[in-house]
Amino acid sequence: MVSKLITLTNPQGFHMRPASVFTTAMGKYSCDVTINFNNNKYNGKSLLNIIAACIKCGSEIEIICDGTDEKEALDEAIQLIESGLGE
Amino acid sequence: MLNGTPASDGIGIGRVMVIEENSLDYTPKTVTDTEAELQRFKNAVKIFCDNTAAQAELLKKSAGEKEAEILEGHIQMIKDPYLAGEIEKLISDGQCAEAALEHMCDMFITMFSSADDELTQQRASDVKDIKTGILSILLGVKEVKISAAPKGTVIVAKELTPSMTAGINNENIVGIVTETGGKTSHSAILARALEIPAVLSVNNAVSQLSAGEQVIVDGTEGSVISSPDETLIEKYTKKRNEYLRERRELENYRGKKTMSASGEEYELFCNIGTPEDALNAIDSNGEGVGLFRTEFLFMDRNSLPDEDEQFSAYKKAALILKGKPLIIRTLDIGGDKDLPYLGLKKEENPFMGFRAVRYCLKNRETFKTQIRAILRASAFGDIKIMFPLVTTVEEVREGKQLVEEVKKELSQNGIQFDENIKIGIMTETASAAVIADILAKECDFFSIGTNDLTGYTMACDRGNNDVSYLYSALQPSVLRLIRHIIECGNKNGIPVGMCGEAAANPMMIPLLISFGITEFSVSAPSVLKVRKIISTWTKEEADKTAEKVMSLSSEKEIYNYLKTVI
Repeated sequence: MVSKLITLTNPQGFHMRPASVFTTAMGKYSCDVTINFNNNKYNGKSLLNIIAACIKCGSEIEIICDGTDEKEALDEAIQLIESGLGE
Repeated sequence: MLNGTPASDGIGIGRVMVIEENSLDYTPKTVTDTEAELQRFKNAVKIFCDNTAAQAELLKKSAGEKEAEILEGHIQMIKDPYLAGEIEKLISDGQCAEAALEHMCDMFITMFSSADDELTQQRASDVKDIKTGILSILLGVKEVKISAAPKGTVIVAKELTPSMTAGINNENIVGIVTETGGKTSHSAILARALEIPAVLSVNNAVSQLSAGEQVIVDGTEGSVISSPDETLIEKYTKKRNEYLRERRELENYRGKKTMSASGEEYELFCNIGTPEDALNAIDSNGEGVGLFRTEFLFMDRNSLPDEDEQFSAYKKAALILKGKPLIIRTLDIGGDKDLPYLGLKKEENPFMGFRAVRYCLKNRETFKTQIRAILRASAFGDIKIMFPLVTTVEEVREGKQLVEEVKKELSQNGIQFDENIKIGIMTETASAAVIADILAKECDFFSIGTNDLTGYTMACDRGNNDVSYLYSALQPSVLRLIRHIIECGNKNGIPVGMCGEAAANPMMIPLLISFGITEFSVSAPSVLKVRKIISTWTKEEADKTAEKVMSLSSEKEIYNYLKTVI
């Protein structure tokens, strides 16, 4: 299992479009992807779960990847969030 | 006659097609062949995705990419591995596909509806739409095909779902009437994009209008007339043709410079109240935003919005405007706009009291938070700051001082912003107008707010029927103040705009041209009209008109005279 803390910097936060950019990318990996936000865990491959979490710009979240390709998945997750999730 | 919210301009005359919501009732049952049930669910999802993709294509052509995105989102949602996985789990446990789907969708609908942010709440209607769509397929219920409606159809429905709106085109559909929805609802936005007259939030529209019946939909006034007689049809046909003719004519002014008949150029901006409104400003061919009211960020909530929330709203508007000017007015609270969570004292005389820049200068942290958000956003566009309700030069100096402090903090933290950001004021009090010569030396621009300026100058509340007759920007006193403000701006080489309602008034426009105004800021639907009116005046004619107006001694004389020249 690997994990990393990161702050969401795209202005919209995890709304429809940014969340779908994220989940589409994570869908490629076989490992589990979990987002830990305010001590709640959300499925990082589920668009609906992430939207329901209402994660706004400026929030700190933890990305946890667990599985065979966990390292690659985490790298891409971090890179996506750092680059603003397509916004 | 039925009344509702006017949501999309124009007149439509046609026959009613009632979009009934088909019953999606079913009796939940336990399934033994879970494999077959799973397959049945997967097939339904496949059909749903194919249909939705086709609808999205259709919508792309009729209304544009943005509208189609909502439908494409539906496909992504149902393909959500969590949602699909949980539904499939329920089916494997013996639930029928209908019940499993409904259970999971309802869970998300409840979750989204109870979110405290509007964007998330809107997602509830998406999940509802997915549920209805797939249930219809599972139950073999035919969905109404709006795309097959005959020419001259007026659609009447409880609610228009995004998937229904996909079938709407302006060749067959001449009007839309619904029982729910407001000006900013999805239906309203689509109706405007397709230029179909629409009246929303009409109570009991579905039960009061019957299929095949002739109706008139007046989307400008917000009324629906059922079974009109010949005279009414004639009257509204005339009104409709006039509306269409005028709109066609105004379209000629799209993309043109805003220029008088003698060649003087002006800036023509829009007034907006939310970042999304900036899209309307662009759609209506505005050249920028002359007034971005920021109160929306502070209303309907329990605490102040933080810096990031404000920043992202300002940045969003700036990005939509792609480098076109964006004048952001700092918080204009108090007066008639109370924010319960600020705990402001009840005042005897709120309009003369603790409001706008007065409040902000006493609550510096709140003010600095907003200024910091605006400055950060200024890295993403041509943003200017405007202070409302200024009455003294100290207010301008203190406000500018705060901006300087925030700039210094941002620089120290290496945060980008526009170092040369322009700072101006609303000239909307009699005091600011009279000392415009003094204020002009401290400001980068003026914007005349005629609504407050008229109220304060005439000492009259336009909402009070006993005194509202005094309320007119054409009062000789108000006109003299406007002229003085503009002259002082001109003398000091700073631009002077007008963002009050009067800026779009055909009687006011020649006077403003003559006085030397440089910018008009109007509501989005007025942009082309104002551009047209400006184009009909030469500076010389405007000067003559203004000279005559300024020689008259009462509002009534001025009004009557202007009526003869426009």
